[in-house]
Amino acid sequence: MRYTITSLLLAGSILVPASFVAFAASAQEATFVMPTVDVGAPSYDPIRGSKLNAATTLIYDRMVIQDADQSFHGQLATEWSSTEDGMSWTFKLRPGVTFHDGEPFNAATIAWWVPKFAGTENEFMTSAIASVEAVDDLTVKFTMKNPDPNLLSNMASSFMGIPSPKAYDAAGDSYGITTAVGSGPFKLESFTVGQETVLVANEAYAWASDLSVNQGPPLIKKLTIREIAEDSTAFLELSTGGVDMLMSVPTDFLPRLEAAENVTVGQLPGTGIFYMPINTSVTPFDDIKVREAAALAINQKEILENIFGGIGAEAHNFLIGSLLESKVDPALNISYNPDRANMLLDEAGWVMGSDGVRAKDGVALQVALWTQNGTEFKRVTEVIQAELKAVGIGADITIFDSATINDQYRKGTEHQLAVRNYSWANSDIIDWFFSGQRLGYPNVSMWNDPKAEALNAVAMKESRTWEERVANFTAYHEYVLSQFVFAPIYEPVQVYAYDNKITVPETIRGTRLQSQTIVDIAVN
Amino acid sequence: MTSFFIKRLLLLIPVFLAVSMVIFAIVHLVPGDPIDNLLSVNSSPEQKAELVARYGLDKPLWQQYAIWLGKAVQGDLGDAIILKRPVADLIAMNLPHSLALGGFALIFSTVVGIAAGAFSAINKNGWIDRITMTMILLGSTVPSFWLGLLMIMLFAVQLGWFPVSGARSWDALVLPVLTIGLGGVALVARVTRVAMIETERRDFVMMLHAKGVPPRQIALRHVLRHALQPVITILSLRIGWILGGAVTVEFVFARPGLGSLLITALNQRDYPVVQGSLLMLAIAVMLGTLLGDVLQAVMDPRVRERIT
Repeated sequence: MRYTITSLLLAGSILVPASFVAFAASAQEATFVMPTVDVGAPSYDPIRGSKLNAATTLIYDRMVIQDADQSFHGQLATEWSSTEDGMSWTFKLRPGVTFHDGEPFNAATIAWWVPKFAGTENEFMTSAIASVEAVDDLTVKFTMKNPDPNLLSNMASSFMGIPSPKAYDAAGDSYGITTAVGSGPFKLESFTVGQETVLVANEAYAWASDLSVNQGPPLIKKLTIREIAEDSTAFLELSTGGVDMLMSVPTDFLPRLEAAENVTVGQLPGTGIFYMPINTSVTPFDDIKVREAAALAINQKEILENIFGGIGAEAHNFLIGSLLESKVDPALNISYNPDRANMLLDEAGWVMGSDGVRAKDGVALQVALWTQNGTEFKRVTEVIQAELKAVGIGADITIFDSATINDQYRKGTEHQLAVRNYSWANSDIIDWFFSGQRLGYPNVSMWNDPKAEALNAVAMKESRTWEERVANFTAYHEYVLSQFVFAPIYEPVQVYAYDNKITVPETIRGTRLQSQTIVDIAVN
Repeated sequence: MTSFFIKRLLLLIPVFLAVSMVIFAIVHLVPGDPIDNLLSVNSSPEQKAELVARYGLDKPLWQQYAIWLGKAVQGDLGDAIILKRPVADLIAMNLPHSLALGGFALIFSTVVGIAAGAFSAINKNGWIDRITMTMILLGSTVPSFWLGLLMIMLFAVQLGWFPVSGARSWDALVLPVLTIGLGGVALVARVTRVAMIETERRDFVMMLHAKGVPPRQIALRHVLRHALQPVITILSLRIGWILGGAVTVEFVFARPGLGSLLITALNQRDYPVVQGSLLMLAIAVMLGTLLGDVLQAVMDPRVRERIT
């Protein structure tokens, strides 16, 4: 084979710019892996959806975004105010915002959007709003049925991302699966359930909140978010450079990731709690002594150190540490106390048997302990089974799939204990999980107590200001604790890890890794 | 030959009907109201009424079966409860991946298995035979989940030859195929070896030796053909298993597939998807056995004669 020098040089010179083009084209692309709890989310419909994944805030903008210091920053809303009695809110909307399909965002959108929640699972977010009035193109006024100081907090949730009315109505029931149209920094290119979501940058984006440094379109032009259910596989993908960021990392992998040179690890305060709801409507847990005993048998420290490697914090009540309403009377916090647990069970008449399980009137203290699929859940549940046995309560574990366990709870009578977690940074989660209006699921404890309902009504509907709300919810929280309808276990932190080939801002704004930070991420 | 094939094909129909009856009955055999089993929990009465009308759920059981079967044959397998998409779409998305993975894994375990088995049989009881059989035993007893992770760590992480996970390129198929294939090699190899050793004891083989045919030719051209009979039977039964049984490998390698679709649907009590997936797997097994029978008939005239 003979080639002249000229022809070789020509061939080489074509390759060089070609590789530059290829390099430049690929330089703006990144692949993230979403948290394993989000794997399998069935759709991007924020209004009707019950499970949304981490990519939702990239497609949809919200009215406001909440920062870690509890302050609110405007995104689609620029100003807001409410009257002193809390019965009316006025929002000024950002001008010049368009949806991915070109439709404009204005007061008419809000007037269409709020009533859409009626009849859905997420109705509670707008149920206090009696009517929406479009004062002018960029101003809306909400007239309330009762004061709702939590309105802004709800509006910062990804469930209140705003879709394009035209696209939403046109797609009907299949909205969120084949198409999802918002005004967010990324447009949905394709969505394969359980596999990946491919997003492309919205070049028209010019309305980021002040939490983002980059006020224009995102720096990443094509973002693929993969769903990998097996944590080891995700970890290996990051180690080999197959993906650029893991949005959530299990605590087991932290030491290895911290030791890796090409990887940076970050932590964010947690937004949820692992806990064990106790079914108050069936024996033996209709007896408060037995409930308290079960709750006091849980050794939070043991679980934190052995299962989570000391990362995160012990949980001693129902709320995360950053909320003011978690600062209850210290005497009411629930902590490990096996001696008192044993004493209470003895008082309740449950006599310790020879096999280590207590019995009363010939019935053994053997209970059903449910949990959902997932390595961490299974491990925690096994430890809890052992801790319960240590005080004489025998527990049988049953594992359910996370998408259907909620339906199983709705049956109400088959479970006695369960290991669950929630992810919500607001004290109204107490209402969500313990209100007598929601027996079965979400009220897995099947608890319907008149005093609790009264405290709930005051906290949810009669708080006129934020301070009043904190005080009322703290009182509700304290009563819930005193009745031992659940046992707190663990408060996780959010850990994420990324390859040094992308640049992530030093401080993550907001409470989670969402659009306000991702628009600032660049590929080096 | 053609008449054999047609007769064999016609025999499939009663089998298919029997299997489809069982699959249809799942929704009715499982505890709970069949209508509730087909809808999500917070459905409105209008949605219930629409479902009743669509599937004739208020009609007698045999009529419901006829309606369901009619729709299934036309490709309408209903809508998934959780994922809210037509089941046929979900299967169409997952089937090609399962077919690719299963097909290549089958080819791999066939070729490597038969080669290893033949090799061992020829060097019977020699040290090559023992080593090969031991290695095969190891490969098949290691759980596929663990083997998959080991493969990833060696070939994808350390050597960087293949992608770690996903189904985005052809070379992402290599490691999953090896993982499943290695598990299947053992059975094929052992059966080949035993069948070859047995065939070698037959009279016609002695005659071939007497005629002076080289031993290698005897082994590969004559004995192997006879030894392949039981191997093909086993392989044709494994086809359905391979399509649906790759779940752990699909989980580790983050690949879509019919197996994970079925398991997820079972966990979620998503009965339309369960029914659709089971129907697909049943069809795969039936077609697999048909293929096996046809191959056997091609290779062995006695099988052809028997059926006619």
